[in-house]
Amino acid sequence: MNLPAPQPRISRRAFFKGSATAAVALGSAALPSASIWAGDLSVSGTPSGPSRKGTVIDCHAHLSHRSRSTWEADDRKLIEAADKLGIDQLCCSILTPRRPATAEGFRECNQWVVDGMRRFPGRVLGYCYVNPGYPREALDEIRRCIGDRGFVGVKLYNEYTCIEPVVFPVVELAIELGVPILQHAGHAHYVLEEQPRISDGRHLAELGRRYPEAMLICAHVSGGGDWEWTIKALRNAPSVFLDTSGSVTDDGVVEMAAQVLGADRLVLGCDMSMTASIGRIRAAELRAAEKEKILGANMAQLLRRRKP
Amino acid sequence: MMIDVNAYLGHFAFRQLRHNAAASLLALMDAKKIDKAVVSSASAITYRNVQAGNGEVAVEVKGHRDRLIPFAVANPFYAGWQDDLKICHEELGMTGLRLYPKWHNYTLSDRCCLDLVNAATERGMIISIPLRVEDKRQRSWLVDVPDVPLEEVAELVKACPQARFILLNGLGYVKSPLGRKDSGLSSNFAIELSRLSALLDNEIGQLITNLGAERVMFGTGMPFSYPDPALLKLEVLEASAPDKEKIRWQNAAACLRL
Repeated sequence: MNLPAPQPRISRRAFFKGSATAAVALGSAALPSASIWAGDLSVSGTPSGPSRKGTVIDCHAHLSHRSRSTWEADDRKLIEAADKLGIDQLCCSILTPRRPATAEGFRECNQWVVDGMRRFPGRVLGYCYVNPGYPREALDEIRRCIGDRGFVGVKLYNEYTCIEPVVFPVVELAIELGVPILQHAGHAHYVLEEQPRISDGRHLAELGRRYPEAMLICAHVSGGGDWEWTIKALRNAPSVFLDTSGSVTDDGVVEMAAQVLGADRLVLGCDMSMTASIGRIRAAELRAAEKEKILGANMAQLLRRRKP
Repeated sequence: MMIDVNAYLGHFAFRQLRHNAAASLLALMDAKKIDKAVVSSASAITYRNVQAGNGEVAVEVKGHRDRLIPFAVANPFYAGWQDDLKICHEELGMTGLRLYPKWHNYTLSDRCCLDLVNAATERGMIISIPLRVEDKRQRSWLVDVPDVPLEEVAELVKACPQARFILLNGLGYVKSPLGRKDSGLSSNFAIELSRLSALLDNEIGQLITNLGAERVMFGTGMPFSYPDPALLKLEVLEASAPDKEKIRWQNAAACLRL
């Protein structure tokens, strides 16, 4: 299947004009658009866009489960969306449609991620999704995916709150392998009946205190309920990173997160809310260097900690 | 030219807003190259007497009427709404309304609501309906306000064919009569894009196909929302340049008679 013809846009040359550091590390199969940052001006009119020195990494993406008849086209649309938005690499998992996932179910999902990494080389990075309730199978799967298949991290969903002991061996193995854990999270001021064991910022902070060497990412602050609560809950958990993704476009979330946690602890995510997630970073009233960290430098640093 | 049909001034009860005074909103609009914005009172969403919020907006936009177009918030179940409507239209120069049926505890099919819509329509005013104010997952422990169901909106649109509606902060239209081709609904409503997708499912593209680009309008949700997500949707949308111009400002200008 061929990619559609690109839309007319500001050329990369025009965007980089005047930049001393125009080199952009791109995925091997893409020509991400830099023009989306062209309109990035702070309120005072001072350019605050990233200089695009580094790779833009979406720390939270999903390939489509193959129970969907449109999975192949959906995956391609995701890559096309990334092309348009200047996202170089996407850290992807596939979740089972029904949870809790069985061991067979998460293995099947991870196998499809392997296939996605082959179909989109250099663009799709794999998260190994497991249900810690299958202790032996989960650890075996993580070892296989990280060790043999080139996955970059572990994805945990809501089968267990992340501070339940059944999760600890997964965290310890991630530490041993030197890979991050993206933990589904959210905090609402009402009972989430459909997700009784969802983790929140407070749980992640507690897990971070128990395992300060773990690389924990609290998922989708912009789609996980009260984002002000989540940011404040993570204030004193320096080893926990915050994924900025989500469909909620509330003004100020990125600035508050940067102020309370520091830009060093923020990682760009989209979680399939593409324009919302890129738009909020473009809009945020932060310095260009801070945005560059959020867009990819922080995540790249995490990925470099993987042990051989 | 860029016209935002979905902006606000004032305070919101459950979250601090930035850029919520005329001067700061205008500065943000300048930075984002947005020429004009339709604004209403964010405070009136939770004021019992919404007219106090309308008064605040009228004061705030004074001297900026060339760029800030004030709409009134109306509650058809509150005493004196007819007087307030007259004042908002005739004295405060407000050319449209915003309705919050779920926040103000009524349904769009209630007789009082139909009376309000008809009264506003007789005055030539536009009726805009934000289908939500904020994401329900982050709601305060004090309130549980649902989104306005699209079915309820479709019934109102059908019941008031002479009225002109702008639907704000919604999505999922293509799965309802509001966004389907040949649904039998008249074309007396437009859909604002701030929560619609321009990639992946591309609901904006589907609406252009189903309803025509004439029925889609640009809006941001400022200052509740960052403006850039909506701007970015327009930038990446696969549509013709004339269609994008319609969405960017021409549809709003025609509707607002600018």
